[in-house]
Amino acid sequence: MKFDSIIVGGGIAGLICGIRCAAAGLKCTIISSGMSALHFASGSIDLLGRSPNGDIIYDPFSQLPTFIDQYPQHPYAKCGETVIAESLSFFTREIEEQSLQLCHNEQNNHFHLTTFGTLTPTYLSQQSVYSPELDRAFTESRKMALLDFEGFRDFHIPLVKANLPQHTLFKNREIITGTVPLTPLIESLKNPHEFRSIDISRMFETEKHLLQIAKSIDQLAGDGEIVGLPACVGFIKHNEVYSRLQKLTGRLIYEIPTLPPSILGMRLDHHLKSRFSELGGVFIAGDKVIGGKIQSGRLSEIYTQNHESTPLQADAFVLASGSFFSGGLISEFSGMKEPVFDLALSYEKDRKDWAADQFFQAESHPYLEFGVKTNEQLNPFDSSGQPIDNLYCAGALLAGYNPIREGSGGGVAISTGYYAAENIIKANAPIGAERHD
Amino acid sequence: MKKFDTNVIVIGGGATGAGTFRDCLMRGIPAVLIEKNDLASGTTGRNHGLLHSGARYAIKDPASALECIAENRILKKVASHCIEDTGGLFVALEDDDPAYGDQLLTACKKTGIECGEISRQQALQIEPNLNPEVIRAFTVPDATIDPFRLVSANVLDARERGGQVFTHTHVDKIETNSEGVTGVLCCDRSTGQKFEIRGKIVVNASGVWGEKVCQTAGIEMKMFPSKGSLIIFDYRVNRVVVNACRMPADADIFVPGDTVSLIGTTSRKIAYDEIDTIDVDEEEIATLLAGAERLVPNVSKTRLLRAYCGVRPLIALDKKADGRDISRGIVLFDHEERDGLQGLLSIVGGKLMTYRLMAEKTTDLICQKLNITAQCQTHTTPLPGSEKRRGGKINRKRFKGISDSVISSTQYRHGERVHQILQQDQQSDELICECEMVTAGEVKYALKHLNVKDIVDLRRRTRLGMGPCQGALCACRATSFFVELNHTTGEKAHQMLIDFLEERWKGVKPILWGDALREAEFSYWIHQSLIPSKKVSSGDQ
Repeated sequence: MKFDSIIVGGGIAGLICGIRCAAAGLKCTIISSGMSALHFASGSIDLLGRSPNGDIIYDPFSQLPTFIDQYPQHPYAKCGETVIAESLSFFTREIEEQSLQLCHNEQNNHFHLTTFGTLTPTYLSQQSVYSPELDRAFTESRKMALLDFEGFRDFHIPLVKANLPQHTLFKNREIITGTVPLTPLIESLKNPHEFRSIDISRMFETEKHLLQIAKSIDQLAGDGEIVGLPACVGFIKHNEVYSRLQKLTGRLIYEIPTLPPSILGMRLDHHLKSRFSELGGVFIAGDKVIGGKIQSGRLSEIYTQNHESTPLQADAFVLASGSFFSGGLISEFSGMKEPVFDLALSYEKDRKDWAADQFFQAESHPYLEFGVKTNEQLNPFDSSGQPIDNLYCAGALLAGYNPIREGSGGGVAISTGYYAAENIIKANAPIGAERHD
Repeated sequence: MKKFDTNVIVIGGGATGAGTFRDCLMRGIPAVLIEKNDLASGTTGRNHGLLHSGARYAIKDPASALECIAENRILKKVASHCIEDTGGLFVALEDDDPAYGDQLLTACKKTGIECGEISRQQALQIEPNLNPEVIRAFTVPDATIDPFRLVSANVLDARERGGQVFTHTHVDKIETNSEGVTGVLCCDRSTGQKFEIRGKIVVNASGVWGEKVCQTAGIEMKMFPSKGSLIIFDYRVNRVVVNACRMPADADIFVPGDTVSLIGTTSRKIAYDEIDTIDVDEEEIATLLAGAERLVPNVSKTRLLRAYCGVRPLIALDKKADGRDISRGIVLFDHEERDGLQGLLSIVGGKLMTYRLMAEKTTDLICQKLNITAQCQTHTTPLPGSEKRRGGKINRKRFKGISDSVISSTQYRHGERVHQILQQDQQSDELICECEMVTAGEVKYALKHLNVKDIVDLRRRTRLGMGPCQGALCACRATSFFVELNHTTGEKAHQMLIDFLEERWKGVKPILWGDALREAEFSYWIHQSLIPSKKVSSGDQ
């Protein structure tokens, strides 16, 4: 089988790369081995949330030029500001094509609440988490209700409520609390204590349940104009469910991320995949790339677990297989490796230098910055140090950045995925004409 | 300052202290237990969890072997819910001296420990993961014991008999007057509040920390701490206890326990001022993995869960500081005889295995001093939860709608007390820790009855956070129970979660590669976003 581009990894970096390639008219496939890390993510896109000393960054775009100067090996430095900005607009547009509204606070970060009741800075959120209307309502200190669902174990009002007063925004705010009953909605003998976020989100997508839930919310929320709910307000049909619920209750609905599985992240995952298919991309799920043929600095074909004897060929390849968590990088007693192509890595050889003494040490853990070395175009190097010209790397397997400490995971995934696609499109220019849709 | 009176003050919430505390209450002697940290948080909770048959000691130390086999038989009856009667093997490989096996057989016969040789095939049938190169194999009545459950059950029983417990409470000073001991001055470590407990007898059962406790009464009791390290594998690799059939050495015992298996131990002398700061080092990890590989080939390729270490409380029998006369046996000091201080006893040395016997000896001496004639009954009265034989049939009809795995896990940990945990209300069967099947009911029961002050304590009572995810998903859920039931403030809940994850990290860091690193990355990612290191103080939204 022959493609214009093959992407290894179906996470956010691989998907945005695939969508960009497919939108440019390239015949493209994504091979994904398992569940995307988006299922565990907040569903908001962090661009640059914290400075190296841990301070919160409010204006990431104004900070980027200095940041890039300071860290020339950072993936952001390779993409450059223009590509970063372009990639985020592209991402927002493509997701909106799937009727999922994303909002940001102009060039600035905004904050989203966590399951623990703390606030964390981010750049791009779904409209149920951040929107100009919500922003206005919060600054005008309108009354808020905080509701959860009967038996739901991945969101606890007492915990959120105990932590909220630590933020000035919530300090002197009266918060009405209550629990939306689910038992009346269940026809089977199921105990609502067994429900996970996904079960509840599906209940929202059934009209008669939605009406019932809206009624309960209305009763419980009193004179609260903003209603905070664990993020279960519909999954695939979220957009429709969200505006119906706001209309039915006459209140602003505010979603707060839950413990995994994260519906907010799963929505992104779902809509990115649909968009990719809509543009003609081929998504192969449940297969694992196990190796490829590299000759004189070019990768010509790859083999997968299910297609070991029929190699997949392409002009360009992207490796977006994630970090250790997703299996894109592997650590062993004796060292680290990139398991598919044995690419050159940047990491400390001595295992003692992999992690910090404390779990929550301010400097964070060095292993988070380990990963695949690339040149400016995101081409990696083989084990002998030779660059592979038609292979690009994107997302969490890249070296040189700490997604958690910096609050840059989503931003790096999107910008490097997009940048890899741009480089492929450029190299492919005579063949693939840009499609404008 | 608050003051109150009792008869006996036991210092140290390990197995020995908890056992002595219970024995006192069972003989009708009012007593309190004081522990500076949590129950079973010191040496007691940092060993193999091996219920020795005594075979390990039979050749070199027959007296210890006799104690072990006697206690082994008693504990299997009275602490059945803390014990899994797995049985054990001694296996000799090519490079072991085959004659050691004959010595073992003779020594076991002399000490009355059931030991018999079996064929290589039989050994592999009992233990399929065993090194196939085994040349000789012997069965012994080894078993496994959960030290956390054991201590918790002793304390629970004592409390139900009216005993009072102060965990996270430090003894600042043993108070004396011209006649002897008058009590102790304590400090509640969570509030900083000082208080005084007056009593006739103070029992120092604080193991290796006993040297410090004695110092507060001006008495010198020299300890010779020895560090022992272990590694936990994330699977129950072996079915029975596997011992290397040779003279005791590093990494020669492989013990299954709950959902995991452990290899241990090492033995390194350490300086006394290091007892609170020790870590497992690289060399120990290598030694332990090599030892494990020898008994169960390829085991180091399975996921490692954690590594941890404890300090053996070895004690000098004489007052000289050179440590020449060190004992590994049970040592009971009457400081009236030894140092002229009336009312202070120190119970040191010994093993987890012999905790009950140590408690019996200590309580006998207390009775003698207080002129009480009550006899010890701990060898016949089962611990709460152990009233029925382990795995005794349970009326599943009473737990309709709950999965067998939840019923069995709960019964496994709490024995007969399962009836106070499951099906209390609609919420009680909700799973909080999926790895170890800990329900909301179990969390609530532990918070109410088992002296739980924080999530680390909760882990010791329930196994919450001990499984493959090491608390990545359940820690936050557990925190909310403290807020809800104990009215823990947001800030304290925050700190509690951090402390718990830091404690988990301490065990993960020495084996941070492979799946352990993957899991750590996941947990870090989740928690760093939940609880940002620097709080957001601005009101932006």
